[in-house]
This record gives sequence, structure tokens and C-alpha cells, in this order.
Amino acid sequence: MDNSSNGYHISFFRPTTAHAKANRNIVIWLILIWVIAIFGFQILLRVIEKPTPEPVFVEFQSVWSNIAQSNASAEELRTFGKSTLSVLGKIAISDKEKAVLDNALSNSAYQLKPDSLRSDLVFRIKNFESIKSEINNINDPAYIIAKRAFEAEFMPIMMFSNTDVRVKFLPLELKSEGIESLQAETIKSLPGIMQKYLVHNQSFLTDFKFLGFPFHYFYTAVFLLILFIGLCWLYCVKIDRLNTKLNLND
Amino acid sequence: MKKIYLSLLVLILPALAQAATAATQLEGSFKAGPAIILISILILFVMVGILFRAKDTNDFYAAGRGISRVGSGMAIASNWMSAASFLGMAALMYGSGYHGLAYVVGWTGGYVLLLILMAGQIRKYGKYTAADFIGDRYYSQTLRAVGAIIAILISISYCVGQFGGIGLLFKWVLGVDYNWAVLIGGTVVLAYTLISGMLGVTKNMQIQYIIIIISFLIPLFILSYKFDYFWLLPQIGYGSVVSDIVAGIPLNETNQLINSLGHEFAMVPSPEYAMPWDHAAGKTFFQWIAIAFSLMIGTAGLPHVIQRFYVVPKARDARWSVVWGLFFICILYWSAPVYAAFGKILAANPEVGNLAPDAIVVYTAQLGNLHPLIVGFLAAGGVSAAFSTVSGLLVAGASAFSHDLYVKVINPQASPKRQLLFARLGTVLMAIIVGVIALAKLALIGQLVAVAFSLAGCTIFPLFLLGIWWSGSNRSGAYAGLIAGALVSIIALSYFIAGKLGLTWPAHEFMDYWLGAWYFAWIGAPLSIIVNIIVSLMTKETPIEIRKFLVEKVHS
Repeated sequence: MDNSSNGYHISFFRPTTAHAKANRNIVIWLILIWVIAIFGFQILLRVIEKPTPEPVFVEFQSVWSNIAQSNASAEELRTFGKSTLSVLGKIAISDKEKAVLDNALSNSAYQLKPDSLRSDLVFRIKNFESIKSEINNINDPAYIIAKRAFEAEFMPIMMFSNTDVRVKFLPLELKSEGIESLQAETIKSLPGIMQKYLVHNQSFLTDFKFLGFPFHYFYTAVFLLILFIGLCWLYCVKIDRLNTKLNLND
Repeated sequence: MKKIYLSLLVLILPALAQAATAATQLEGSFKAGPAIILISILILFVMVGILFRAKDTNDFYAAGRGISRVGSGMAIASNWMSAASFLGMAALMYGSGYHGLAYVVGWTGGYVLLLILMAGQIRKYGKYTAADFIGDRYYSQTLRAVGAIIAILISISYCVGQFGGIGLLFKWVLGVDYNWAVLIGGTVVLAYTLISGMLGVTKNMQIQYIIIIISFLIPLFILSYKFDYFWLLPQIGYGSVVSDIVAGIPLNETNQLINSLGHEFAMVPSPEYAMPWDHAAGKTFFQWIAIAFSLMIGTAGLPHVIQRFYVVPKARDARWSVVWGLFFICILYWSAPVYAAFGKILAANPEVGNLAPDAIVVYTAQLGNLHPLIVGFLAAGGVSAAFSTVSGLLVAGASAFSHDLYVKVINPQASPKRQLLFARLGTVLMAIIVGVIALAKLALIGQLVAVAFSLAGCTIFPLFLLGIWWSGSNRSGAYAGLIAGALVSIIALSYFIAGKLGLTWPAHEFMDYWLGAWYFAWIGAPLSIIVNIIVSLMTKETPIEIRKFLVEKVHS
């Protein structure tokens, strides 16, 4: 990159003074560490990762074909309903995906009820929907009573354990519209939605715990920042020493 | 300083009296306690601005070049820790998990580049503004003017996100409409900047840093303690919070841990929060890398960041101020993910509803049932963060308008008084433009700010990098490189704006992905550097006086 011929030139890669040469070497070393630490680690994560399903996704897959063919047992319906709740509990889902999951959950709840009680269930869900649309805050007594009634009703039907948080979401996700059957959109989209939210890129670097963190998370969110400060500190110390050694003054 | 501390106490005391009556609400009405704290802090800033106000242009642009290393480091941190850091960072992680860490890494890793490639040399070059450097180094008045215009555009782009943050917080505190909140907040920050100038700003930045960091940290200690995590160092203790999110938190049979709405501290397993480039987040490996890279080189090209190095006495101070600045910045950047993690759990119940991600820091504190006064202080810290950055940006933009455009290009005979007048006129103009754009709510705060970084990475960063480290880079090369970088920027931003207007341009999906508005510098910056080098090699070499200056003054 040197296009001068009279000595007055600066080129990072062709330093002409002792200070410039030493500075170049320090900078190259620091940048190498910087690049490998940041991008090298992410590339490593990418290379070794494997799509890893949550246990609930495996359960979903085991029952899905029977569910789609309307041929599922009560146990399979429970598993199916619970698996949809596992995704509904993730707050990042879009409205369109939520509608699909709501239909799947509501239908499984509907089918788990005896034939004679299904119309009553639909009536009560509609009533709850009406209460939800009218209340101003979630401490409304009518709302709380209706919600807790659903929780108590489905706790044994779905066989939730006492510590299963999904029972808390269930009343909020029951929808009366289209409850009698799985909608065409649900059958088409549900497997993709479940895969999207229940399969994750994991490896030993994400599974290994360090100071409570998944290791890769600690490395990126905490360690890299320490490293950056360390690199900056090191550069300043090195340059100060270099300037002292060469008797240079800023 | 005693006067300042006394003022702080006198102004905060009434707020303490209001604390008992203040109500905690996620949204809605006027909140007395937080409002009093906010107003008290703003009055304090104005008072400090008046005490240390600019007396001449040297003061206005570069604070008399008398700021210490630690003080300058604090000012760098305060200047840097904007609404994007205070609010936007947690918002990005709350919404997209591990993908948000690309912003954390990008916004801190860039300081390594800035230090080892530029800080000391920029100080030695001895100019006031980025455009000054470009104009002198590339011996071109046109490039100086273009550099000034780019600096103004970058400042505007950066400020839009800040005004959005100010609007959100003023809306939350005052209980007014977002548009009114932007108008009120924008007017206050403008008045403050006009009164103080950079000397006041620099002093204020040191105080602002202390307020920002204390207000940000206090809720974290309380949240960690309250929800039974390692609270002595929440920045490490939240590792268990992240692991709990991944594994899921079962219902507590004793129901002791609840949020302010009465929901249990429990959630379904959510590995998507922590796993890299998860499908649920909708972001890819490429986007992670592109964002981190663009933000890093953007950091080294932002005019208002570069300008901080002009206010220290020596190049050595410039270097050490980066170390201090980065350390102060990292205290906040280690902490922001804690809010996102707690927010994820506390807002897990669907009854909480869809919360505005940009306000998740405040919502997390509220959902954690913290005392309203603490939540109010947190919100005031957020406003301080936005204010300190906006002040720096408006000064940088005003400097470009007055010093680089008006004095250096249009009217070199302008008196110092007239220069100051134009600097203030530029500040008002910029604030009006920014306010109008902020009303459109184009994207998340962090994303809007990232646009400024990509813009800086494509335009100013290559000019500084080659300008400092290769005397062979000449005027023609600078023109060509700038055109290449600007072209990439224009294409990326045109597609972004078209998308926002609902227009579907050819290949829009391809362009949105590969030239996303938050990360187009991944290709724009290298392209600009390559074009600059090729054209420089093919054209007349840099004049001897420029090369001599580089050898004898900048690299001596």
C-alpha cells in the first residue's frame, strides 16, 4: 500500500519506525484475540450445535398422527393438550400461531369431556369470554371465580401435577370458536409451529453450566465484556511502556 | 461539586415525601412520586449546565480540553449509555433472547477497535469534529461538507431512538399520550442543551452517569434478593435465572413468590430464550454476526463518540479514557440482561398481556413489586440516559452544522458570537427533525440506534481508518469509498423505509435479510475500504504536507 517515494509515508503493514513496528505487532495480536474470542466462539457454537427437541415435542410427535385422524385416546388427547399449552406459555408467539394453538387446546379439552357435558363446556367458555371482554382488571370477582372453576375442572381431566404451571394458562386459552373440531389451518400449521418453538440448537456448550449460566450464555454476556476491558487495559499498558522505553511523549 | 450535591438533596427530598402515596401501575395515570424525581433530576441537570455553561466556542465544542481521564471515561459512558442501552438492550433480549446479545457484544467490542486503531491518533490530529478531520486529511472542502452532513444524519438517526425512549418514559410518568410525551421531553432536552453547551454537558455527563448506574443497579439487587437468587452480585446471580427460564419454573406450593399482579413466579420451559439463533426468535447465525460486526465498526465511526477524544488533554489520556469509559459502560451492559431475564418470568402469565418491549426495564421493576419510588428513580435514570446522549448528539450535530458547514465552507470570517448562534440554530433544527421522525415509531429503540451505527460504519469509519493508517489514501479514494458506502446505505435504508410504508419492491425479502437496516455495514464498510484503496492506488498520491503531518504529528 506504499505509493510514496520520499520517506513521508504511513502504512500500518509497513511501519518504518521502531514504535510503529511494535505498535503494529501489539494491534495485530489484540485484534486476533478479539476476532477469535468473538466470532470464533460463535462459529464453534454453530458448528457443533444439534437440533434438540424438548421432551414435550417428542410427546407431541408420538400422538399427532392419531390426533390429526381424529382417532386419539383420552391419554393421547391429554398429552396433545398439554403440549400445546407448553407453547402457549411461551410469550413470544404471534397472534396467528396463538389462534392455531388455542384451537388445538380447546378441541382437546372439548373431546376430553363426556358428550353430555360438551355443550355446557362451550356455554361456560362463551360466558368466560364475555366476562373477559367486559372487565377492566384481572381482580374482578366474576372473572376470578370463572377462571378458578376451569382450573379446578381441568386439573384432574388433564392430570396436571400440583406444580404444573400450565394449568394456570389453560382457562385463558380456551376458545369457543371452532372448538368442536380441529380447523384445517390447525392441522396444516400446528406441526410446524410446535417444531419452531420446541426444537432448539443445543450442544455441550449450551448444556454445561458455569456459575449458574448455560456456559455459552456466560461466555457471551459476561466473559466477552471482561475480555474487552482486559484487551483495552493491556493495550494502554503496552503502549505506555513502549513510549517510556523509546522516550516518547504524547 | 458541594453545591451540586446539596442541590440534589434539596430537590430529591420532596420526592421522598411523595413516595408513600405513589401508586404502582403498569400504564395509565400520572405518577406523582416518579414525576417529582424526574423533574428534580432535570432541574439539577439544568442547574449544573448553568454553573458550567460554555463561555466560548472552544468550551462549546471541546470543553476547554481540561477533562480528566476518569471524568472523560464517565462522560464517554454517560454519552454512550443511551435509551438504547438503558431500555433497548433489555428489550432486545426480552424479545429475541440470545440474539439480543449480539447488541451487547457489538456495542462493547467496538471500543477495542476504537482504542487500538483510533483514539490516540485522533487526539494527536487535534481537530474539533469528525468533518474537520475528513476535510483536512483529504484536503477537500467538499468532503468536509459531506462529512458534516453525514455527521448530522447519523446524529439525527441516533437521536430518533433516544426521543422514542424519552417519549415512552414521559408517557409512563406523566400519563400523557406518546406524542405529547415526545413533545414535552424533546423540548426539555433541547432547552438543556442550548443552555449548557458541551462544558456543561461534560460535567453533567459525569453526574448523569452516577444517576444512571445507581438507578439501574438498585432494582436488580432488590429483585434478586426478593426472588431468592444470589443478590450480592446480580450480574452473576442471574445465571440461575437464565437456567431456570431454560428448564422452566414449577409452581411454588407455598405461593410465596408472586408478581405485583398476583401471578406465581413460574413458567414453562423456554430454552428459546437462551439458545443461540433459535427458530422461535426468527433470527439467524448470519444476522447475529452481521449485527455484532456492524455495531463494532459503527462504534469506531460515530462522530459524537470520536468527538469525546478531543476533550482530553493528551493522547495518553484519550487512550486511558477509553478503558475507563468501557469499564463504566460494561457495568450497565452486564446488568441489562438481568432485567430481560426477570421480565421474562414476571411477565410469563398471559394475563400480563403484551408489554411494550422498550419499557420492559420499568415493567420488570413494577411487576417485581418494587417500591414506586425505586421504580420512579429507575425511570428517571432512563430519562437521564437518553438526555445525556441526546445532548452529546445535538452538540455533535450542531458542531457539524456551525463549525464544519457554516464557518469552514460558507463564511470563514464569522465571528465567535455568530458561530455560537449558528451552533444553537443547528441544535434547534435537529431537535425539530428528530421529534417529527420519532413520532412515527418506526422500530424498537435499539434497532433505530443500530441504523446510525451502520451508517457510520459505511461512511466515516473507513475514512478514519484509512486516513490514519495509510497515507496512500487520497482524496479520490475517499470520494470513491464514500460513494460506495453511501450507496449501500441508501439501498438498505430505502428498502427499510419502503417496507415501513407498505411498499413491496423487487427482491425485498432478499434485501431485507442481507442488507437489513440494523446491519448493512457488514458489507458496506469492507466495500468502502476496498474501493478507497483501489482508487487511491490508481490516482495521484496524497500531497506531501498531509503525509508529513501524519508522520510528524499523528504517528510521531
